Amino acid sequence: MTDHDLDGGAVKHRHRQEGPQKHVVAFIFSIILTLIAFATVAAGGVNTAFTVLLLLVMAVLQVLVQLGYWMHLKDKGHMIPIIFMAGGFFVAGTAIVAALYWMWW
Amino acid sequence: MSTPHPQQAAGALPHEPEKATLEGRNKVLGFWLFLGGESVLFGTLFATFLTLRNQVADGPSASELFSLPMTAAATFILLVSSLTSVFAIQAMHRGNRTSLARWLGVTVVLGLAFLILEIYEFAEYIIHDGYGMTTSAFSSAFYTLVGFHGAHVLFGILWISILIGQLFKKGLTVVTAPKIYVSAMYWHFIDVVWVFIFTVVYLLGKVVG
Repeated sequence: MTDHDLDGGAVKHRHRQEGPQKHVVAFIFSIILTLIAFATVAAGGVNTAFTVLLLLVMAVLQVLVQLGYWMHLKDKGHMIPIIFMAGGFFVAGTAIVAALYWMWW
Repeated sequence: MSTPHPQQAAGALPHEPEKATLEGRNKVLGFWLFLGGESVLFGTLFATFLTLRNQVADGPSASELFSLPMTAAATFILLVSSLTSVFAIQAMHRGNRTSLARWLGVTVVLGLAFLILEIYEFAEYIIHDGYGMTTSAFSSAFYTLVGFHGAHVLFGILWISILIGQLFKKGLTVVTAPKIYVSAMYWHFIDVVWVFIFTVVYLLGKVVG
C-alpha cells in the first residue's frame, strides 16, 4: 500500500481505479451469508440456541462487509467515522441490553 | 491523501470528486455522524421490539405471521441495490455521468420493488389477517420498526431520484459528487439496518417466535 503511495502517479491511479471484482466478491459473500441464515431457519430441526448464535454471527459478518468494503470503513483515514459509528452502535447496544434487562430480569 | 491527482488535467474532474473540496469532505464526515445517530434511533426501536416481541395478545405470533420466501425476496432485492449503488460510485470515479445516472436509476427501481413488496406484506397482514397497528404490543413494535425502515427506503428513493435530475441539470461536478456519494452511504446504511431486521425480526421470529 505504501509502495503504491510512494510511486505516485500511474501506480496510484491504477490502484485507486479499482474494478468491480472486489465488490462482486463482497456481494457473493453476502449472498452466501444470507443463504446460510435463511436455509438454516427454513430447514428447521437445528438446536435453537445454536441457530440463534449462527444467525447473529451471519448478520454481524454481513454488516462488517457492508461497512468495511462498501462504505470503505476499512480503508485508511476513516478513524473518525469509525468512532462515530462505534459510538452509535455502543449506545444502540446499551439501549437494547438495558430495555431487555429492565423488562425481563 | 485527497490532494488532486498529479496526472489530472486542468479543469478535469479529480478521481474522487466527492473529496476534492473541503465542503465535500465535511459533508461525508458529517454524514457519518448522522449515521451514528441513525444507529441509535434504530437501536431504540430494536430495543422496543425485542422487549415486546412476545406480547402478542390475541393476535398471531411472529412465527405464525411471517413468510420466509417474501422476506428472502426483499433481502435479495435490497442487497442487489446496495451493489448497484457501489457500481454507481465506481462510475462516478471514472467520471462517467451516463453510467452513474444509469446505476443510480437501477438502484431506485430496486428500492421501489422492495417498497412495493413491503407494502404488499403489510396490506396482507392488515387487510387479509385483520392484524393492525393496535392489535398487540408486538404488532405496534413490529410496524414501527419495519415501517421506519420502509420510510427510510422511501426517503432514499426520492432523494436519489432528485439527485439523478440534478446530475442532468448541473452535471457531475465537485458540488454534485459529494451529494451522490453521501446518498450511496445512506443506501448502504439502509441495507445494514435491513440485515438486522431480517435476522432479528423475521428469522429469529421463526426460530424462537
